[in-house]
Amino acid sequence: MKEILVHLHDVSVGYDEPLIRDINIEIESGDVIAVLGPSGIGKTTLLRTIAGLVRPLEGEVELGVPSRGGLGYIPQRLGLVGNSTVRSNVEMGTRVGLSRWYLPFLPVPERQRRYAERAMEDLGIAHLADQPVRILSGGQQRRVATAKTLAQRPKLVLADEFLGELDDDNVDIVMNTVRAAIEAQNSAMVMVEHHEELAKLVANRVWRITEGRLVEEVME
Amino acid sequence: MNKRLAAWGVILLGLAAYFFVDMAGDWGRLSGGWGNLRRFFAESLWPPNWSVLEAQSYPVCDATFEFTCSVAWIGMWETIKIAFVATVIGFLVALPLSVLAASNLSPIEIALPVRILLAGMRSLPSIIWAVLFMIIFDIGALAGIFAMSFYTVGYLGKLQFESMEGIKNAPLEAAKAMGMSRSETAWLVAIPESANNLLSHVLFMFEYNVRHGTVIGLVGAGGIGLYINTYLKLAQYDKVVALLLVVFVVVVLIDAVSMVVRSAVTEEGDVERPSWSSLFLPASISSAMHPTPMRKDADVHESE
Repeated sequence: MKEILVHLHDVSVGYDEPLIRDINIEIESGDVIAVLGPSGIGKTTLLRTIAGLVRPLEGEVELGVPSRGGLGYIPQRLGLVGNSTVRSNVEMGTRVGLSRWYLPFLPVPERQRRYAERAMEDLGIAHLADQPVRILSGGQQRRVATAKTLAQRPKLVLADEFLGELDDDNVDIVMNTVRAAIEAQNSAMVMVEHHEELAKLVANRVWRITEGRLVEEVME
Repeated sequence: MNKRLAAWGVILLGLAAYFFVDMAGDWGRLSGGWGNLRRFFAESLWPPNWSVLEAQSYPVCDATFEFTCSVAWIGMWETIKIAFVATVIGFLVALPLSVLAASNLSPIEIALPVRILLAGMRSLPSIIWAVLFMIIFDIGALAGIFAMSFYTVGYLGKLQFESMEGIKNAPLEAAKAMGMSRSETAWLVAIPESANNLLSHVLFMFEYNVRHGTVIGLVGAGGIGLYINTYLKLAQYDKVVALLLVVFVVVVLIDAVSMVVRSAVTEEGDVERPSWSSLFLPASISSAMHPTPMRKDADVHESE
C-alpha cells in the first residue's frame, strides 16, 4: 500500500535568497526519485531542507516518517566517523531503532547487530568490519555509508551523490541492494546525482531543477 | 603579504616594544646583574648536589634498590602519582563538561554557563587552589590531587570543547537527520572524531601536571615540590638544582612516552613515529637526520 512520506507545501528553499521556489510535491513509498540539474542550482539544499537541516524560506515540509530513525541521510561527504570501525559506523545506523534512552556506550542488541551484519554482507564490506573507516578507499567508504543507512531501515533515504567514486560493478551492487531494501521495507529514496544516465536507470521518478523551479519529468 | 596585515604586525610589534621599554625602567640597574648571577651560579647552584639521589639516613631503608629511598625518588614518584590521579579525575569530569560546552553539540543556553564555569576553574592559579585545598585537607598529597584536578578540568575542558567544535560537520548532520539523541551524537560521533586530539590533550596535561607538581608542592601540597621548598628555605640551592634536573629528565621521558602512545593510536602516518633525536634537537636538525618516509597515499584516503 502506498503511503505519503513527505509533503512539500509551497516550499521555497535556499539560504538568504531562494534557490528553488514554490515546490508542491509528494514523496510516496516505493519512489526512487532522481534530482537532476546543474551544479549550484539548489539540489543539495533541497535535500537538506527535507532532512530538516535547513529551514525552508517559505512553506512547510510535512514529514510522514518518525523523527527518530525514520529518515536516512547520506551527505555528499558521507558523514562517517573516520576514527571508528566500519562495524561501529554501520551499527550506529541501527541505534536509532532503539529507545532514545538506550545508553550509547552499550553494545547494540542482537537483532540490531544482525541488521548491521546483513547490510555489510550485502554491500561486500563484511571483511572490512574491524577496519577504521579513515583508511578505506573512497568507493569503500561510500559502501559503508550505504550500509549504515540500510541497517537503519529508514522509511526515506536521502542520498547526495552517493554513487560517485564507485566503479560499474559496485554501482550495480549498491543500487540492487538499495532497491531491494526499498521494495522490502516499502520505503522511498531521493537521490541527487550528476550522472544523468545512471540516475535515470535507477529511478522511477525524475525531478529536474531549472530556472529556480522544480519540474517533474515524465519517465519514458 | 597583505599590506593591512603587515601594518597591523608593525603596530603590534611597536606597541610591545613600547610596553617593554616602559616597564623595564632603569637599565643602569642591570650593570652588575650578570656578575651577580655568575657568582650565585658558581657559589650556590653548581655543581648540583646529587646526594638527593642517595637513600636517606632515616627512616632506615630496607628496599632492594636503595635509590628508591632517596628524596628524589620519593618526591618524584609522589608527584607522578598526584599528577596521574589528578589527570584521570580531571579528564573524567572535563569530558562531559566539554560536550556540554561545545556549541555544535549543545544549545547556547547550556554551553555558555558551562564555559563560564570552566573559565572560572582556569582563572584561579593552581597555587591558590592548592592553598584552598590545604585548608580543607591539611598539608599533603590529597590537597595536591584536588588542586591539580580542579585546574585540569578547567584547561582540559576548554581544549576538548574546542577540539569537538573543530570536527567536520557532515557526521553531525547525518546524525541529526537520522534523529540521534545528543548523548548518542556526543558518544558515537563527536568523541571518536576528536579522539586523537583528546588523547593528545590528556597526555599533554599529564606532562604539565608533573611539571606543575614542583609549583604546588611549594605551598605544601605534596610531591617533589615539598622537598624543593624545604631546600630553598635552608638555602641548599645545589640540591634544588639537582631536583629540578630530575624533574627535567622525567618530563623528557614522559614526552617521549606520550609521543609513542600518540603515534600508536594514529597509525597510517597521521603523526610520524618520533625519533629519539626529535626530543632533544630542533625540528630542522632532527628531520635532516631522519628524513620522513613517503606516505602510502595511493591506497589511503582520509574520510571527508
